[in-house]
Amino acid sequence: MKNIKTLLAIIFTFIIFQNIGAQNDISPERKAAIDSLALEKVRDLSKYISILGDKSTPFSEAARVIDRALELFMPGSTMGVSSLYRKKVEIYPIKDYLQRLTRLNYAKVTITWFNIQYVSDLVKQPDGRYVGVITIFQKFEGVTKEGLKYVDVTKKDITVYVERKQTQIDGIPVGFWDVLLGDIKVKETTKG
Amino acid sequence: MRKLFILVLIQIIFNAFSSAQIINNGAKEDESDLYASTKQVNQFMHRFNGEEDLYGKRLYPKDKKYRDASLRKKYLVNLFDIENSELKTKKEGFILFVTSTSKPQYFEFYGDNWFAEVSADFLYNGKEQNIVLFFKLEKENDGYKWSFANAYAGFFEQEFKSSPPSDIKFIHPMSHEIDFMSLDKIFKLKSKQIEHYAIKEYTPDYLTLFFREVKKGTLVFQSVTDVKFHVFQIENWYFEMKYFNRKGDNTGWLISNLIHIPEKEKASLIKSINHEN
Repeated sequence: MKNIKTLLAIIFTFIIFQNIGAQNDISPERKAAIDSLALEKVRDLSKYISILGDKSTPFSEAARVIDRALELFMPGSTMGVSSLYRKKVEIYPIKDYLQRLTRLNYAKVTITWFNIQYVSDLVKQPDGRYVGVITIFQKFEGVTKEGLKYVDVTKKDITVYVERKQTQIDGIPVGFWDVLLGDIKVKETTKG
Repeated sequence: MRKLFILVLIQIIFNAFSSAQIINNGAKEDESDLYASTKQVNQFMHRFNGEEDLYGKRLYPKDKKYRDASLRKKYLVNLFDIENSELKTKKEGFILFVTSTSKPQYFEFYGDNWFAEVSADFLYNGKEQNIVLFFKLEKENDGYKWSFANAYAGFFEQEFKSSPPSDIKFIHPMSHEIDFMSLDKIFKLKSKQIEHYAIKEYTPDYLTLFFREVKKGTLVFQSVTDVKFHVFQIENWYFEMKYFNRKGDNTGWLISNLIHIPEKEKASLIKSINHEN
């Protein structure tokens, strides 16, 4: 029973299993699996941002969503935002950014993805972890209760950290790739 | 518990499917522009080298089209800033050269001879100043990192551009016999022109100066304002790339400057970019 619980916990954190002893290099097949895992986390984040920007979300629910969203990130991650007209990048800790979203005065927030994304190669850091960047484009539409609409399209470059970890299942050592999001650069591309 | 396990698996599969649907039903407008845009430096390299097919799929060495010359030619023409007329004539020769069958040239992330130039705003004694920082990719253990290689600021340079002293022009050659007592005059009267008493080979090290000011707290980082890359990997060529955030399909990371330059002259160009001349 305990072993099944462990297995479930691992699945819940969306990780990929891999037998220990396999080569350390990331093959194209494994890279594709890691990419889809990372994209899944990015989609989760996007979903959380929509909920937080929506005025109808109760405060208690927003607090829970922020906690869930923060679980996607490496501690200390930040969000850097620049606009079309101002090169200066405003940097916020992820938690602050998410909390700011709850204070947006929109009756409805819709975030749609463009069917384009780019996932970089993974590059090994000196500490043994791998790092990559996922680029996505999103359209943000916020409608106030008076019916005024704010629209922008942003390019989001999202850092992704990939780390090989180990656990034991049924006494058998199992290695897996864990994926966490890092700093995000948001660049405005067009204003609606 | 086993039932729960199966339910969880079903839920995960369902979630994955639902997410894919969200993407497929996502915003459609301007997608062709976004597709054409060279979205990352990484993608610039893949397109430059023919490591991505025309549908955006990553190509690996086992793939037939990997680094295919005709694929590269299709991509390369669009990797230049088309609004820069100076690039128009030069780029044809460059493309022919890098895609030659006898000696093709590639832009390698892990290769030497390329570096980043990052412009950033700082507060220097409370006043906003722009500083240019240069970074090089460096290997450590089994991984890589960007490391500071140089720094440049106009106000640093100004400090070392004083006019030569009109008197006491040098430390006279017998100073050693009098325990260099002439230094007293130099430091009292000529401290603002002190660099003129240095050896001919002396050049100020702005990176050390930069680190010192940051450590002292007189230089406080504000924001990165611009990023570009200088690439010297192609034989007898140099190119600069930067990000173009604009409408249309010629956007993203593009070649913004291209110079046909003999290998032996590259060192002097690097010095000039680093403001070391």
